[in-house]
Amino acid sequence: MDWMVVAQMSVSGGAMGMAYALIAYGFQLTYAPSRSLNFGQAEGVMVSAFVALTLIGTGMPYALAMILTLGFGALLGMLIERLGVRLALQQKNEGWILLTIILGLFANSVAENVWGRDDRPLPTPIPSDPITLGSISVTWYEVSIVVGALLLMFGIELFRRKTLLGKAVDAVAADASVAELMGIHSQRAVSLAYALSGSTAAFAGILIAPITTVGPTMAGGLILKSFSVAVVAGLESGFGVVLAGVVLGALESLSSVYLGSGWREAPGIVLLICVLAMRPNGLFGKATIRKV
Amino acid sequence: MFKLTYLPIVLAVSSSLSYAQNIKIALTGPFSGGSAPMGVSTRDGAKLAIQEINAAGGVSFGGKKHLIDIVERDDEAKNERGALVAQEIASMDDVVAVVGTANTGVVLAGDKFYQQAKKPRIISVAAGSAAMGQWVKEGNVVPKGELYAFRFSANDGVQSETILEEAIKKLGLKKVAILADDTNYGVSGRDDLLSRIKGMPGVEVVAVEKFSIGSKDMTAQLLKAKTSGAQGLFVVGIGPELAAIATGMNKLAFKVPMLGSWTLSMGNFLDNAGPAANGALMPQTFIQEPFTPRAKTFIASYQAAYKVDRIPSPVSAAQGYDAVKILAAAIEQAGSTNGKAIKDALENLQKPVEGAIAKWNKPYSTWDPAHPETHEAFRKERVVVGLAKDGRVTFAHDEDRKRLEQLDR
Repeated sequence: MDWMVVAQMSVSGGAMGMAYALIAYGFQLTYAPSRSLNFGQAEGVMVSAFVALTLIGTGMPYALAMILTLGFGALLGMLIERLGVRLALQQKNEGWILLTIILGLFANSVAENVWGRDDRPLPTPIPSDPITLGSISVTWYEVSIVVGALLLMFGIELFRRKTLLGKAVDAVAADASVAELMGIHSQRAVSLAYALSGSTAAFAGILIAPITTVGPTMAGGLILKSFSVAVVAGLESGFGVVLAGVVLGALESLSSVYLGSGWREAPGIVLLICVLAMRPNGLFGKATIRKV
Repeated sequence: MFKLTYLPIVLAVSSSLSYAQNIKIALTGPFSGGSAPMGVSTRDGAKLAIQEINAAGGVSFGGKKHLIDIVERDDEAKNERGALVAQEIASMDDVVAVVGTANTGVVLAGDKFYQQAKKPRIISVAAGSAAMGQWVKEGNVVPKGELYAFRFSANDGVQSETILEEAIKKLGLKKVAILADDTNYGVSGRDDLLSRIKGMPGVEVVAVEKFSIGSKDMTAQLLKAKTSGAQGLFVVGIGPELAAIATGMNKLAFKVPMLGSWTLSMGNFLDNAGPAANGALMPQTFIQEPFTPRAKTFIASYQAAYKVDRIPSPVSAAQGYDAVKILAAAIEQAGSTNGKAIKDALENLQKPVEGAIAKWNKPYSTWDPAHPETHEAFRKERVVVGLAKDGRVTFAHDEDRKRLEQLDR
């Protein structure tokens, strides 16, 4: 085993793993206050990337297009909450699972018809030249995924812990009925959580687009991997997703070298099975104690 | 009731107009998705030829002029979709012939239906050896003179010969790696390269890797090629994935020549790879440069008709255009729309056909399973090496340009 290959693959895979972690973090955001999540998250990533592409295409500066895309992601998240989740939660059933999947499929059809099925490059100010550290090459795109994902997660955590609105979401997550008694509109808190989650998806789209190019299939497979990361880390693990994401990404790359490119997806699945069999709450999850 | 009363009038009007019946030709190909540059260009090239023929009054036989109508079907580069499209077209009695198809797998899935229905079909893009090889495969050999499929693109055999010559003789590579996609096209192209390199003393294949459609991360495959000491990389695939390979090489600072299938000239490769595309070498049958008067005319009319500067896939466009011109000449010579008569005419064209690529003189001859090249239009002399440079493809060698000029004299 050549250490250079191992290092290179771990770094490249780990960077992509940060994108999984970011989307997994989006799952956590809505899971905490509402015990529901958006299975159409990957389509949110894709549609947002298309929106960014369209905005940049109008000649708008990159930074402004990015902010508007984040806003679009938030709106999309709120829309999904309204259409796919709210009623199911009110009636305490699991209808949101199917509804969010269906909304995702619908978004896919819309994207194919509005933007076409071609893969297109996203113009970006990030330089395409690689940086070499010793014998390992890293691209600025990969750096931007890692830095961007960490910054966004950090920002949202700050918001949750330091602002009144954020604390309201946390309160609903802790106990929705008590929060209601304290005067917190729990449904609005859920809506806000979905908006934040939508923004993380949009940001993930902007971050991965320079590598994957923008097309209806750009986020294919992303949902399963991100969900694996969320489950492996635990749906309430906080920053545990970062570690799980990086490890999964690196494992994927390493197995595609040492087992062959056809085995790329295998370690994620094996990891998921092992964790679910041994620690159903995830590696970093807290065991929930239900008081009767 | 209302509709019924008008029916006789409608019938009377339409029958009085159709004094010469129109001919219907089907155009198929991937008009969306990663293969779209090929499908759209070949369709638009074919349509350009049809517009020109119709503007001149149509195809004349039986003392009348017949306009050409078009039936278009998007096969989405998917084998199963291609099979459905072929079944549908094969069952349409008024469709005279079929032109198009860019993906070898789609040809393999669908062409048997055209053969059963005795519909002449000209493959205007798909290059995989398997596409025509299926008709000489044991158990499925089509007897002499009975094949309705013709190819109007340089097949993989001719292409890999050209590109290997470039790599081994001109660049002097000794150790090469092969990266191919896992479609019928990629597998057939890879096997073609492997079997040819086997017969070359002193040349070694140090790594053979595959990737699937839609994969954007080629780091693993490229790293294997790089650590195995490859001095050059052969790639077989289509635009978006080839672009991922080029950007991946850039990232790993794997600076060896990238050579490969003609698809390295697709617009989505050049666009998605950006500067990383520069230097890629590929076999071409047509280059978007005014190297001959006919090429100049064709490029100008394509640009004017579709309001584009760069043709998404110049090779596909020119081949689609020429394929239709050849088909129209065959229908004229056959003097009917009967499938067998058109096939016979294609195999024995009396008059030369003016195309965008060349003046075609008997491009095909009677099908002989022992010599599948009877239904192949392109020989090695017609294939040149293209070089990707700043979002365009140009001639890699001036002698290639001169050869094509010479051939056209």
